[in-house]
Amino acid sequence: MNVGLNDYLILSALLFAVGFFGVLVRKNTLVIYMCLEMMLVASTIALVAFSRFNGTLDGNVFVFFILTVAAAEVAVGLAIIVALFRKRGTVQVEELNALKN
Amino acid sequence: MAPTQLALLVLLLPLASAAIIALFLRRQGALASFISVGACAGLAAAAFMLVFGGQRNFPASWEWLQLGSLRISLGFKFDDLAALMLSIVAVVGLCVHVFSLGYMHDDGAKARYFGGLSIFMFSMLGIVLADNLFMMFIFWELVGFSSWLLINHFHEKQSAADASKKAFIVNRVGDFGFLLGIIWCYAALGTVNLTEIAGKVQGGAAVETWLPLFLFAGAVGKSAQIPLHVWLPDAMEGPTPVSALIHAATMVAAGIYMLCRIEPLFAAAPAALNVVMWVGVATAVYAALCAITQSDIKKVLAYSTLSQLGYMVAAFGMGRLWEFQDGEHGKVKVLLLAGAGVAMFHLMTHAFFKALLFLGSGSVIHGCHNEQDIFKMGGLAKRMKLTFATFTVGVLAIIGFPMFSGFFSKDSILLLAFERNKAAFVLLALTAVLTSFYMVRLWRLVFVGKARSDESAHAHESGWIMLLPLLVLALLAFVGGYEQVLDANIFRGVFLEVPDGHYHEHAHGVVFAVSVAATLIGSFAAYFFYKPEDKDTLAVKLPGLFGGLSLLKSSPDEIYTYYVRKIQDRFALVLNFLDQVVLGGFIIRGFAGFVGLISLGARALYVGSLHAYVYWFLIGAALVWGFAVGVFQ
Repeated sequence: MNVGLNDYLILSALLFAVGFFGVLVRKNTLVIYMCLEMMLVASTIALVAFSRFNGTLDGNVFVFFILTVAAAEVAVGLAIIVALFRKRGTVQVEELNALKN
Repeated sequence: MAPTQLALLVLLLPLASAAIIALFLRRQGALASFISVGACAGLAAAAFMLVFGGQRNFPASWEWLQLGSLRISLGFKFDDLAALMLSIVAVVGLCVHVFSLGYMHDDGAKARYFGGLSIFMFSMLGIVLADNLFMMFIFWELVGFSSWLLINHFHEKQSAADASKKAFIVNRVGDFGFLLGIIWCYAALGTVNLTEIAGKVQGGAAVETWLPLFLFAGAVGKSAQIPLHVWLPDAMEGPTPVSALIHAATMVAAGIYMLCRIEPLFAAAPAALNVVMWVGVATAVYAALCAITQSDIKKVLAYSTLSQLGYMVAAFGMGRLWEFQDGEHGKVKVLLLAGAGVAMFHLMTHAFFKALLFLGSGSVIHGCHNEQDIFKMGGLAKRMKLTFATFTVGVLAIIGFPMFSGFFSKDSILLLAFERNKAAFVLLALTAVLTSFYMVRLWRLVFVGKARSDESAHAHESGWIMLLPLLVLALLAFVGGYEQVLDANIFRGVFLEVPDGHYHEHAHGVVFAVSVAATLIGSFAAYFFYKPEDKDTLAVKLPGLFGGLSLLKSSPDEIYTYYVRKIQDRFALVLNFLDQVVLGGFIIRGFAGFVGLISLGARALYVGSLHAYVYWFLIGAALVWGFAVGVFQ
């Protein structure tokens, strides 16, 4: 079976869609966060695929940056979620509405 | 020391004193007073070294600002005129400083008072030394500020606070004209430097009549001429030494001094000089009439100051008097008299005797425990002998009693008026009669007869620290008019133009007779007319005349009040309406309301649910995508 660029892009789009709808419908901050990460990964797949089929390294370099930034983001984001849970006792988004009113 | 350094020392010593007092010594009244008096003594010493050092017109100018082609420099123009004014300010200033040590001894805000005196000395000396009109204007305003500060010394009194504001605002009116005049002068002549102005005008540059008149507006405000005279009588709310220094001897004379500084401009515009003369004559007569009905010792002196300032302005306005005399080479045109010189002569003698009179009245007020009503005084001659003696010298000098300084200066003004304009001469002679009348009235009511209140019955002579300045000023008020003082080659540039009566034998005889007659008539009339009673004899015997004079006195204030209430306030109401409705309501609140409306809609989007925001984000992303691929085109 010959795997072409379109297949990679479809996979990437599907993963992105899953992540996006996860962000839309899930109420738990941790899960939303995981979905966000999934969207990032989806975009990295697309970038790697572009890089592979273009024969250049541009996409791969982007991916390195995304991985580094994502690692840092995870460290900070998870810390925020843990701190939030300690403070409020919940990470359900509908209850995190202190700024409203 | 080089003359420039001396001049700088003269200018900066009082500034340093004021700065030290304002920054560090606000609560140490005694120390502040000594620093201020010390600074004044120092500046007086430096001033005399400068004046008698004999150096004149030394170059001293530094560029301060350059705006396009306009250069504003700070510098000194030290000619005989400035030397004379500097001596007057230094002597009177020192006397007043020393007198204040005694007069303000128990005052709660001594530091503020002496700091104010120092800043005043700084500003006044700046006017005296300034070499261009812009610099003069800066110090002109500083003088206005320090005057405000000192009138307002007893600021817990509403009348004092009002008087200080009135003085400041009325002066602003005149200063605005002055500023316009300076700008016009720059536009017309291309310079504001006093020496260059004189050079250009004598070189034939045309001068419009209105140009010197705008500059004259500044003098009208500062020297309290009609119609801007209303602030000076009210300014008597300040402490008496302040009245002596600022509102009698020096600051109000700054207007005359400024006129003399720009005399070439006036010489090129005779019509302007004529206006100046009539303003001066009107003020002299008007103020003398007002002085007759006053019952406050300081108010009498205030109106007398107005009247004498009118004399000076009138003298200045009479301009130069030339005569053709037989010389070696036929007829020679000789300058006999110049209004500027005569005005400065009277300014000098007036500074001495009016400071003396004010300080004397301060001594009287101090001795009578702050009683200022002359109808509650009486018989002080016995209880305050030295004050009485010096005050008498002052009175004799101001009424122009022969052999006293005022006699000489008043005589030269009358002589000039006699030669120039007979109507002005008659009015000025009438003023001389009135001056003798109200001064002798004051003198009689205060010093002669029996005490009419407990305060005056228990009056006590002031201490030596207050009597010493009185004696010095009394001496000066006596000798100030003699040729030995005038012709000592020190102030030659000024007094060269003052007549000594040799040229016009006939005219001088007439003037002499009129002057002496005026003095005697006024004095005797007042002495025999006024009874030492609680009430004004004039009000009792001639209530109609008294009422008329009182009305004359109060009518300018009433006219201004009417103008402010009925016209200016209404105009202000219209402006306020425009401001509130158009600017405030429409433009400012309108824009704010528009933004608020948008934010109202934007607020509706904020629902507090993360998912809603993600949907907004999705819509936003879709819109961006749409724009990017051109869906909306």
